Amino acid sequence: MRVSHNQPAPIDTSAEVETPEHVRFQHQVAGPARRALAYLIDLFIRAMIVGLFGIIVAIAGFAAGIEMRGVSTGIMAVIYFGVEWCYYVLFETLWSGRSPGKKVLHLRVITDTGRPLHYLDSMLRNVLRAGDLLPNLYALGLVIMGRDPKFRRLGDMVAGTIVVVEERFDVSERLHVHPIPSPFEMAALPQRVPISGEEMDALELFLRRAPKLHPARASELADIVAPIFRQTRRRSISG
Amino acid sequence: MIPQDVFVAQRKNDWHELDILVGQERELYSNDGPTISRMASLYRSLCSDLVRCQSARYTPDLTGYLNGIAGRAHSALYGARPIRAFGVTNLLLREFPASLRKNWRFFLLSTMLFVLPWIIGQAGTMAEPSFAKHILPAGQLEGMAQMYSKGFDEGRAAGVDAGMAGFYVMNNVGVALRCFATGITFGLGSVFFLVYNGLMIGTVTGWVWNAGYGGNILTFMCGHAPFELTAILISGAAGLRMGYALVDTKGVTRVMSLRSSAREIAALVLGAAAMLVIAAAIEGFWSPSSLPPVVKWIASGVFSLGVAAFLIFAGREKKRA
Repeated sequence: MRVSHNQPAPIDTSAEVETPEHVRFQHQVAGPARRALAYLIDLFIRAMIVGLFGIIVAIAGFAAGIEMRGVSTGIMAVIYFGVEWCYYVLFETLWSGRSPGKKVLHLRVITDTGRPLHYLDSMLRNVLRAGDLLPNLYALGLVIMGRDPKFRRLGDMVAGTIVVVEERFDVSERLHVHPIPSPFEMAALPQRVPISGEEMDALELFLRRAPKLHPARASELADIVAPIFRQTRRRSISG
Repeated sequence: MIPQDVFVAQRKNDWHELDILVGQERELYSNDGPTISRMASLYRSLCSDLVRCQSARYTPDLTGYLNGIAGRAHSALYGARPIRAFGVTNLLLREFPASLRKNWRFFLLSTMLFVLPWIIGQAGTMAEPSFAKHILPAGQLEGMAQMYSKGFDEGRAAGVDAGMAGFYVMNNVGVALRCFATGITFGLGSVFFLVYNGLMIGTVTGWVWNAGYGGNILTFMCGHAPFELTAILISGAAGLRMGYALVDTKGVTRVMSLRSSAREIAALVLGAAAMLVIAAAIEGFWSPSSLPPVVKWIASGVFSLGVAAFLIFAGREKKRA
């Protein structure tokens, strides 16, 4: 079995989830750069909302006349409040942990046990932005994130949430060896190739990746390991 | 064990179908019934493929591919629980007061951190007016005195009332949420906000009192104060509670300690925010109205008793007979 849970967790940006089906799989945890980009998109959308309503309210204010001008101020204040404090909670609750910016960058907030987000979790992690952005520009949040293996900011730690990447990968093509080995080369191979399972994994993964790599890079990579394989083969033949 | 390429060829179509289904940029509930059950069964078979893939030493890129689909399908199928009106009312009407009673020590501390600076600010200003100028600029103090010089006998235009109510929602709820959130700095941020606001309000009250309009400002404040000041104290208490969880971790890690207090804290913050919205409506429409002061003071008494009774008695477990 390759999946042994007695081993320490690998140093990796992944978070393991065990499903009700008793299957374990890994979520890729999102790093600060990607999250910052999502934040900027959301910031832009929030600014647009304030701007758009500002124009509407200003036009409506002119139509309603001078004695209603206080109402416009009130509406704008409430909209500003909504954009500052409710925007994320609203979207993360309605869209299962995704704000528009996160959706664009394929990010999702889930709880650290892999379960979906509860509105209270979302409220806590988003109200605590006011702590994370101290003293300015999310400096505290970034430092905390950098020290945490799951890239959690303070809000995530209190709410028990993580932000994961939902990237689409492609399943690899059938294995082709190019150029096709000649009968002479095939005959030169020993009956039983003396390589370990891990070496075989490495070889197979390389052969599957090779068509996607630049030929120069592929041969550069192959050159690094070729001497090792040559040595083990020679030893097994001589021994 | 079948070779990877055969395995992939057999199962590829199902994976692809699930990949497309969960890749849709819409939420699960907007699909029809048969699609959802198809998704669920595809997801289950993908889970067993993943287990097989992990045990059969297939290449990491295949595991990664299946992992990715499994993750997205899991998130799509087990989407966010809906907000139920019952859950929210239960939280606000039962859990919120219960959490506050459980954390009464923090509420007491936050009250002291607010009231003592208030007393210092007000008493200092009343004893020696120049004291106030060390805390607030003279222009602002004069503005305050002028604002309360007329009283509210004539009321205000309805438009101004609505405007101010909106402003109070933004400003006061924002202050309370910040007062809570900055408590993550071992409670220091909450301490700052409580002391700062107490000192400001005390100083302004003292200054307006010196100018001879003390009755006006207190009558203005008496209506919304039971909600607003209590809510600020509660959010401060929540911040202090959070800061304390970082200090006294009761033998677990700091993060675990924070986590275990999260539910109580969330109830306190949400409750405080709800109280501040009520306060904003009162402060915008009722407090500046032309009603005689005696009515406002009676209302204030009723509000105070109501808030106190709610916080003390609501959400207690019923005794079993």
